[in-house]
Amino acid sequence: MNSFSFLSSLVPTFAPTLAQGPLPQLMSSITLYHYLVTSAAMFCIGIIGFLTRRNLIIMFLCTELMFQAAGIAFIAFSRFHMNHTGETFVIFVLTVAAAEAALALALVVLLFRRKESLDGDAWTEMKG
Amino acid sequence: MDLPLSPILLFAGCGLGAIGVALSMPRKSVSPYIFGVIIAGVAFGLVMLGLGLKNPEAVPNYYFYIFSAIALAASLRVITHQRPVYSALYFVLTILASSGLYLILSAEFMTFALIIVYAGAILITYLFVIMLATEAPSEEQPDILTEYDRVSREPIVATFAGFVLLAGLTTLFAVGLPNVKPGDKLDAGDRQLAFMSKKVEPILKQAGLLKVGESVVPTRVETTSYGMPKDGDTTLDAIKIKAADGKERLLPRAEWPPTLVLSNTEGVAFSLINNHPGAIEIAGVILLMAMLGAVVLARKKVELDEVALNAAISRQRAGGEDDLGTEGPFARPGTGEGGAA
Repeated sequence: MNSFSFLSSLVPTFAPTLAQGPLPQLMSSITLYHYLVTSAAMFCIGIIGFLTRRNLIIMFLCTELMFQAAGIAFIAFSRFHMNHTGETFVIFVLTVAAAEAALALALVVLLFRRKESLDGDAWTEMKG
Repeated sequence: MDLPLSPILLFAGCGLGAIGVALSMPRKSVSPYIFGVIIAGVAFGLVMLGLGLKNPEAVPNYYFYIFSAIALAASLRVITHQRPVYSALYFVLTILASSGLYLILSAEFMTFALIIVYAGAILITYLFVIMLATEAPSEEQPDILTEYDRVSREPIVATFAGFVLLAGLTTLFAVGLPNVKPGDKLDAGDRQLAFMSKKVEPILKQAGLLKVGESVVPTRVETTSYGMPKDGDTTLDAIKIKAADGKERLLPRAEWPPTLVLSNTEGVAFSLINNHPGAIEIAGVILLMAMLGAVVLARKKVELDEVALNAAISRQRAGGEDDLGTEGPFARPGTGEGGAA
């Protein structure tokens, strides 16, 4: 169990001074780690999708997946640190996601009208 | 150190998940995605079982496992499904499941904001664009899937990279976070009540804690940069009450009526307006710029480039009478007025 101890000097331990007390029944036994594992797994699925899929729209959908994973981590930290700032930040994540979707999809439609293809590889001449 | 999960189990789960995802990516031959999904599901179950066995009282807590399993399975289908429309619909399922996770975390406002904004607005935009930018199926080929949807690019390398990242992230979480316990029910958000005199006053009056002529003085809560209360702050958990003659007294938290609680929406709103007013302005500017940019981009007249134009010409010749339209997206170079200008 001690195989990670060399890493522990690299990582700050968060907020050990939180007050302990009764909790709503529903979340008494799920730890923050559960949520972070879910969030990290979803983020990595998003990254894999972004790297592997060639359809431009699906690539942007994968960035939304990563936003979503970050949102879960934000809300989990917000709840476990008893601070509403995390939830507030998810509102801004939503804002950026909406703006990104509008702009990126407008660009995608433009690119599709030019090449009649959604293949990301069709635009390799732009890599400069 | 007491880790939340044995590292062997964690790495085994990551490896199995990687194999599963790599198998389920679309590829040229028949992709064995059923097996991939099963293997990835086994990996997820292994990790979650390990997490559950480590603290046995976690096992009866089904809701988290149900929602996160649905969210991860649906997001796996987002990246593996060959049809973009289905991918978008699976993404809606991911959104719904993760809003369930938000609900478990008692973030009710964000739960419904997420469903309305993401599933209701953003995903509909995606669906529109997918349907706009997909070639219509013809008579003889009602079931076309383009080549870039059928075959993924470097599935094994990308999956390996992604799951190495996942293993690293979860390992660091395991090292850094096992000590974080959920906080008290009366949380930092409830402390904001001392500032909300308009909300507090009627509740205190109803509970008979506010005498005639007395009023609540809003006091700002001093917190550290982490949002934690400062140590040794005695006025922290108290509401300041001012009598008619100017005398002030403190009502400590122990004497607060049970009806005096801060709802999630009030907490988020308070945090948003009180602590981040500048960020709201910036968010507004971002949305405005995105709207302007989208309008400018969408109005632009596009010339087909050489390859696509030739393809369109030959297709229309084969099609017959239809003359080459100069309007709409298929304007020929030179005839369209807007163009690159």
